[in-house]
Amino acid sequence: MSPARAQFLDPKVLARIDNLELLARTVVAGFLNGLHRAPHLGLSMDFAEHRAYVPGDDTRHLDWRLFARTDRHYVKQYEAETNANVMALIDVSASMSYGSDPEGLTKLDYARFLTACLLHFSRGQRDRVGLATFDDDLRDYVPPSARNLDLALHVLDRARAERRGDLYPALLKAAERVGRRGIVVVVSDFYEEVDRAMEALRLLRGRGHDLLVFRVMDPVELEFPFADPTHFEDLETGEQMPVLPKKLKAGYDRLVSEHVAELEERCTSERMDHVLLDTSKPLDLALFRYLTIRERKARVR
Amino acid sequence: MPLGFLVPLFLVGLVGVVVPIIVHLTRKQRADVVRFPSLMFLEKVPFQAESRRRIHHWFLLSLRAAALALLAAAFARPFVSDDAIAGAVGVGPTERVILLDRSYSMAIGERWSEALDAARAATQGFGPLDRVSLVLFDQSAAAAVRSTSDASRVRSALDTVAITDRATRYGPALKLAETILQESELPGKSLTLVSDLQRGGWTGEEGVQLPEGTEVQTTLVGVAAPANVAVGEVALTRDRLRSVERVTPVARITRTGGEGELDIQVVLEVDGRELQRRTVTLPAAGAVPVAFQAFTLSNRHTRGAVRIATAGLSETELLQDNARHFVSSPGRATGVLLLDPPGRGDASLYLRQALAVGTGDGFRVERVTGGVPGAETLAAYSVVFLDDRPFPVGAEGDRLRAFVEAGGGLVIAAGSRGGWSADRSDFLPGTLGGVEDREEGRGGRLGYLDYDHPVFELFRGPRRGDFSSARFFRARSWQVPPGDSVRVLARFDDGTPALAERRLGEGRVLVWASTLDAFWTDLALQPVFVPFVHQLARHASGRTDVLDAFTAGQILDVTDARAMETAGLGEIAEALASEEGRIALSPSGASIDLPAGDEPHFLELAEQGFYEIRPPGRSDVRPVAVAVNVDLAEADLVPLDPEEVEASLLSGGGTSGVGAGDPARARELQREDRERRQSLWRWLLVAAFVLLAAETVWANRISRSGVRTKGTGAPQGAQG
Repeated sequence: MSPARAQFLDPKVLARIDNLELLARTVVAGFLNGLHRAPHLGLSMDFAEHRAYVPGDDTRHLDWRLFARTDRHYVKQYEAETNANVMALIDVSASMSYGSDPEGLTKLDYARFLTACLLHFSRGQRDRVGLATFDDDLRDYVPPSARNLDLALHVLDRARAERRGDLYPALLKAAERVGRRGIVVVVSDFYEEVDRAMEALRLLRGRGHDLLVFRVMDPVELEFPFADPTHFEDLETGEQMPVLPKKLKAGYDRLVSEHVAELEERCTSERMDHVLLDTSKPLDLALFRYLTIRERKARVR
Repeated sequence: MPLGFLVPLFLVGLVGVVVPIIVHLTRKQRADVVRFPSLMFLEKVPFQAESRRRIHHWFLLSLRAAALALLAAAFARPFVSDDAIAGAVGVGPTERVILLDRSYSMAIGERWSEALDAARAATQGFGPLDRVSLVLFDQSAAAAVRSTSDASRVRSALDTVAITDRATRYGPALKLAETILQESELPGKSLTLVSDLQRGGWTGEEGVQLPEGTEVQTTLVGVAAPANVAVGEVALTRDRLRSVERVTPVARITRTGGEGELDIQVVLEVDGRELQRRTVTLPAAGAVPVAFQAFTLSNRHTRGAVRIATAGLSETELLQDNARHFVSSPGRATGVLLLDPPGRGDASLYLRQALAVGTGDGFRVERVTGGVPGAETLAAYSVVFLDDRPFPVGAEGDRLRAFVEAGGGLVIAAGSRGGWSADRSDFLPGTLGGVEDREEGRGGRLGYLDYDHPVFELFRGPRRGDFSSARFFRARSWQVPPGDSVRVLARFDDGTPALAERRLGEGRVLVWASTLDAFWTDLALQPVFVPFVHQLARHASGRTDVLDAFTAGQILDVTDARAMETAGLGEIAEALASEEGRIALSPSGASIDLPAGDEPHFLELAEQGFYEIRPPGRSDVRPVAVAVNVDLAEADLVPLDPEEVEASLLSGGGTSGVGAGDPARARELQREDRERRQSLWRWLLVAAFVLLAAETVWANRISRSGVRTKGTGAPQGAQG
């Protein structure tokens, strides 16, 4: 990854871009250029026709059997699949408003950028894209459609993390409204008990959706670098408690690690893709994982 | 040791003790709050739950809690309500009155020192709200210290108080105590009587009404009823031997409380020299008269004394009553001039003989027939009798009038020839009419006597003289006009005046409607005649018997000429009136200035013995002497039963109980008094401030150590 591209994918840089569509386009284009992949590289495409090879075409698409018969190079051309639904479910509970770096991104910002990129990328793949935001209920819902990218980005742009979160009722409503099977991306920090979170995710998985779980966490949440005794306030409940970080860090780290590991393990066991994202890290990791998963799924198909 | 609180409501402040704990456990350090996405994991860490409730600085917390508790307790004003500790708080603020007997009987043995000790003991245990009065009493009472909260003033007064020569009278002292107690608003009232409780000072009619709830305590000092020998009254019988006046003293020696007969020696002293000595055998209880031989009374203000030689008397003998003093002067007889009508022989025989009777100062009677003597001659007499003789006319009448106006007395016995012209009716009472015979039955009688008048006052009461037996066969008719200027002193049974008086100037005129012999009446043959004539002459003269001695405690107004004349000290009054001052020396040698002038000057005869009065700076002049004796009532040392005294006082409204009156108010004041006396709140405040100071030092120390060990800052809180 070149330094220029890395710069564009750095969250601190992305934070300075106000236009979400521009941001998504920039990120996706830069990401794809770095991959040296065809813009229409799709995995869910049907063969349409042959055309003569021109330099620069992906040699993987040469039809070697036709070359053997005709001694000419032809490449296969596919017709892109346009009826796949990609639905992004974004957690906008108050805990997503956390950001340890004043100049960096909050978890919601990170989720917003990630989702925008995914939707933009998917729309480029001719997918129908939709968006839903939720906390303890389903807040905004943009149904999957080839024409709803702008609306989804608009909804995403004005999303605010203000309320308490509860996965199960929110995802229950989302599962009921997302009718056609497709790809469902859930972006959340998952401050839920693992069992209850899995029950919520199972609501979607049980309806045949391919589930991609992005768990967004701030580096402070992962590292807990506090030292002085102080009071912590829960962003969702407002509850405060005195904390002696030195005495607490070990137990906290252990609990977080166990929670992350258990959720990932349970997701994997139930054929859900789980990706832990650090908001201090560039988005390309998330996008790469996404594409990898899409590719894997296409191959399986 | 029960603890009470005057303002227990402040104990609510003890709740403040938990404030530091609550603050410690719940205080939200908003300045250091870190906003965190979720406390889900933090709450699951076992350690944090423990540390949240953990108190790290127990010592600091204890200091703060203790300081708050002490402050709350101090404001609640604690006090120890244990009676043993509260001591003599009693019913609370108490008005205490100490009556200390300082009569001369307190000089017996150790009575006085015991009394002082008892009085000092009564001043112990005073609270700040208590008040105490010290009343010194003998026959009078005076508040040496009145209603003060400073008991030391009472103790200082006790250091200077001395015994007097006066007798005991409980009435004035109890009345004064009653006044003090009644004026007091304090709920507690206490009366402490320190005395030898002589029965003679208690009349039973003190009429003391002590306030309700007054606690009465009687302290009897000294041995009850010790043996005592005293010189009683000394009678001085005067007689003349060849124009020389002689005085025969007869003393009455009394003895009480002894056993067996007692031989004592009694001494007569005249002008400081022992003149005679008698040995007397006294019975166990009784009185023996001791007659001395007559001594010549040649000098004015001759000082005499009858004393008991103290040898052989017990140690508990009362010494003050072992002597009686007297002063006697020659020539104190009242001058009486009888102006008899010429040619009637010895018409005034009965009158003259009656006036000659008597052992006191008596009368010096002169009989003159003929005209009225000159003014100078008249001035030598105090009374002029006109017996059966008309009032003189012309210059003689004027001289008599001037004599009366100057203070002389004129007695007119009307008889058949008595009377006065109409121009004299301005100073002679009424108008005399003709002679009226009263031959019906057994003659007339006196039907009315003015017993309130000095002439007849002596005859008030049963067996004090019977005028009803006197017969009046003839008398002058007499018209006395009604008015204040004439006072009818006696009337016959038919209502006509028998004796009337009219004052004129400084003197007086008395008119007798009958005669003073045995011709018109048999009054001269009745036993009452002599005293009647004496009273008539004495009243007309305006003089009373000169006193041989005064009683300690009496006060002389030395500017009152008449009173001083009665006291045989007329010359002193005259000297003071003529701008000549005098100096009085008390028996103890104290000098008392008697300045000249008409303004009242009082000489208090406080000590027994002889007071000498002389011109200042003149030791060559024989001083005027005034004899002063103690009151003999004090010589009776029989004490009262203290319970009897207390019962009598309590029956007047006091009680021996405590807390009468307003019990609630008394209890409240008692609590306040205890609290104020103990003032525990001050100590609690001091302790609280000490603790707070220690807390400040300790907290700063902890804070500084915390700053030194503080680590890196916490991450920033959440954004939007």
